[in-house]
Amino acid sequence: MNLLVLLVIVAALAALQLVATRWVTVNRLAWMAVWWVAIYLGLAYGINPPLPSSIIVLFMAIVTLALAVYLSADSDELASAVQTVTAFIVEKRFRVALLTVLAVLPLLVALKVYTNLSNPPQPPSSSRTIHPPPPASIIFDGTAIDLATANNPYRELEHTDPAAFAQHVENGRRVYFENCFYCHGDNMQGAGMFAHGYDPIPANFNDPTTIAMLQESYLFWRIAKGAPGLPSESTPWSSAMPAWENFLTEEEIWDVIIFLYEFTGYEPRAQGMPH
Amino acid sequence: MKQYVLFIAALVLPLGALGQDLGTPEQLQSGAALYEAKCAHCHGAAGDANSVATAYLRPAPRDFTSGQYKFRTTGSGELPTTEDIKRSIRDGMPYTSMPLWKGILSESEMEDLAYYLKTFSGDFDGPYGNPEVITIPRAPTYDEGNLARGREVFEANQCADCHGENGRGNGPSALDLEDEWGYPIRPADMTKRWTFRASATREDIYRTFTTGLNGTPMPSYQQTIDEQDRWALVDYVWSLSEDEPNYGTVVTAVGTAGALDISQGAALFADAPRAYFPIVGQLIEPGRSFYPGVNGIAVQAIYNQNEIALLLSWHDMTAEVDGANHPGLVVPPFDPATADTAAGPFSDALALLWPAETPDGLERPYFMFGDAKNAMSIWFTDLATDSAAVLMGRGSASIAATGATLAHYASYEDGAWTVIMKGPRQFDSGLYMAEAAFTPVSFSVWDGLNQERGNKRGLAAWYHLYLLPMETQSAALPMAKWALIALLIELLLVGVVHWRHRRSAT
Ligand code: HEC
Ligand code: HEC
Ligand code: HEC
Repeated sequence: MNLLVLLVIVAALAALQLVATRWVTVNRLAWMAVWWVAIYLGLAYGINPPLPSSIIVLFMAIVTLALAVYLSADSDELASAVQTVTAFIVEKRFRVALLTVLAVLPLLVALKVYTNLSNPPQPPSSSRTIHPPPPASIIFDGTAIDLATANNPYRELEHTDPAAFAQHVENGRRVYFENCFYCHGDNMQGAGMFAHGYDPIPANFNDPTTIAMLQESYLFWRIAKGAPGLPSESTPWSSAMPAWENFLTEEEIWDVIIFLYEFTGYEPRAQGMPH
Repeated sequence: MKQYVLFIAALVLPLGALGQDLGTPEQLQSGAALYEAKCAHCHGAAGDANSVATAYLRPAPRDFTSGQYKFRTTGSGELPTTEDIKRSIRDGMPYTSMPLWKGILSESEMEDLAYYLKTFSGDFDGPYGNPEVITIPRAPTYDEGNLARGREVFEANQCADCHGENGRGNGPSALDLEDEWGYPIRPADMTKRWTFRASATREDIYRTFTTGLNGTPMPSYQQTIDEQDRWALVDYVWSLSEDEPNYGTVVTAVGTAGALDISQGAALFADAPRAYFPIVGQLIEPGRSFYPGVNGIAVQAIYNQNEIALLLSWHDMTAEVDGANHPGLVVPPFDPATADTAAGPFSDALALLWPAETPDGLERPYFMFGDAKNAMSIWFTDLATDSAAVLMGRGSASIAATGATLAHYASYEDGAWTVIMKGPRQFDSGLYMAEAAFTPVSFSVWDGLNQERGNKRGLAAWYHLYLLPMETQSAALPMAKWALIALLIELLLVGVVHWRHRRSAT
């Protein structure tokens, strides 16, 4: 989100509204044009990282359609809108303005074509699904684990045996600092010493949209099966997330999951709630 | 009486008996708790770098019991000030595992930690605990006129012995260097200033060779270089590197009508733009590489009707042209660090990785070495040999020769490898590199000295190669076409409105 840009847009809209109610009458069609432009500016400049242009075109098509539906829902509105357009085109007093518009629009189109052609071409960008639905079950070291019901077997120790739980946290810390921090960073912000060489970049566990909204069984799947376990909408071919079943035991994986939550202060999402 | 006053002072000010700056008990307590939570897993609970991570890290985490700190504003062999330690914590040490804590810990937390780190070494409250600070003057503006003198100072002080003739970290003594703790250490590559441990402003470079880096072979030149010459030397070192690595994502290949005569070496690529990519350790499959010897690779490309040639260059302390290497060599699950001097049976090597077939949409082979569904075409050259070959990868455990070979050129000069591989734009396996299209490409580098072989390698993510069209189409025609279409639509609209208006009027 680029809050500043969005604020400016909202402020401009509000100011226009004020002017319109006080001093001049702005007709419905003009209002719709203003909205259209405001939404476009918001999408194009108000969002960070920027949306791909194909997505913006898609959104704007929807917006255009919605505005058209809105206008035609009321036949008076529609008639008055049609009247305005007709007046602009046929009445003599608008002749100069009309000719200017007729001349300027093709020039704008030509300019757009020029900038499109002179921009360096962009490589195909992959939009990937970050949290695809997990499989129903996985095979770990020869045994099947049902992801819908699997629980972290050491989680309950937190209440029943804090000393034993602390040992699992410590073991998780060891696993993390032997294996994970090169990518996910020693502070779990996804900024490890090798993170700059991988694309997509490693997950940031401090971000509320990663482990904070996932179940422990989901993490178990992601950690055990890594990138190769992802479905194709999540671009398994480019993710650097290793399949830790090649290196770690089941207990070590549950322990490192406990450590991720302990270190970041988040709680895992309870079993049974949808992802 | 004097002692009594000092005792009071020690209670009021956080100063030791000799004026050392040691922090209050509250600060030490807070520092201890923070250390336990954020630092002990690397630096060890006792501050002695005895931790689970140490075996995997080079440089190793600092052993605070030694009292040796790289970054100081104090003389060679002296202890750092509290502010020095705090700055190391704040800014971290780039391109090592020592993270920067700016934005994560508050200033006062970093101060508490700095005081706590001091407690690990007996020296801070001893007689040398109050070191004299060397003030670093403000840097004069960069002056190209200084470079000739700077080069003389560089030569006179034998910086090249360790750092190499052109600062690439490949001097004749580079191979034998060890740090205080017996770990092999490589001299900084001055052409990559972003990798300097203790920051890389011009004041920092001045400070580095003035104070030296304790615990490392990097000496102090406080006594040997006078003030004027110091800034000349700083400007010379500064001139060797860009500010930023400017990592790229696309190699743009330029077209030519003639033959691609790669025996010309780099000269053939004079007109091709250079893109620089990060290389990181392969940490994904067994044979993990925790401290790759290479950290970046520069790539250029040219093509003609049928062929494409890529020039790859990277810095490597020594050329290993004995022994052998191959992506398929098996590496034990954990292969601990060995000393740089123990040249092994492995040679330097390079691979260019491509999808074996033209990708269908975004899908491509697994960037490791391909997968069962999508194979990878591997252009591999073992730099101990005089050839390059095409291999087919369907995963790290199934890499097979195809029998096809590639034209190849390799040279090693002053710490830099330059390798060219040339092959067809149309692969036997199906991939076609079309003009004006993007083709996925990736790179792998093996530093034989660092025992890299098989999957223990420096690797890169998927990037793209773009073939810049040989003839660029002029924009005039499409512009005119679209403007005309826009005009026609307008006129049509105006016509329709007029017609309807007249009809409704009658
Ligand atoms: C070589 C780099 C690398 C290493 C080492 C690594 N990861 Fe990852 N990890 C990634 C990348 C890249 C992603 C994001 C892409 C993806 O989701 O596959 C990721 C994603 C994840 C996710 C998914 C988060 C989410 O929101 O879906 C979890 C959980 C995870 N890693 C845990 C771990 C654990 C635990 C370890 C150590 C045992 C580890 N990773 C080691 C690179 C790494
Ligand atoms: C992921 C491992 C890791 C963690 C976590 C870590 N460090 Fe370090 N630290 C290192 C390494 C490795 C070095 C050595 C870098 C070098 O020599 O170039 C180092 C060096 C240092 C230095 C020495 C700077 C100098 O001038 O020599 C200080 C001070 C330091 N760390 C403080 C801390 C503090 C305080 C924390 C916790 C807030 C911390 N480190 C957490 C790995 C780590
Ligand atoms: C005996 C070998 C040796 C000599 C001679 C030497 N250096 Fe170094 N230098 C090193 C080593 C080793 C390092 C890397 C230290 C590290 O990685 O912590 C280094 C690092 C550096 C750095 C980077 C500091 C940083 O923050 O990472 C600079 C700048 C530097 N040297 C400048 C010089 C200059 C200028 C000279 C000559 C006046 C010189 N060195 C002479 C061994 C040497």
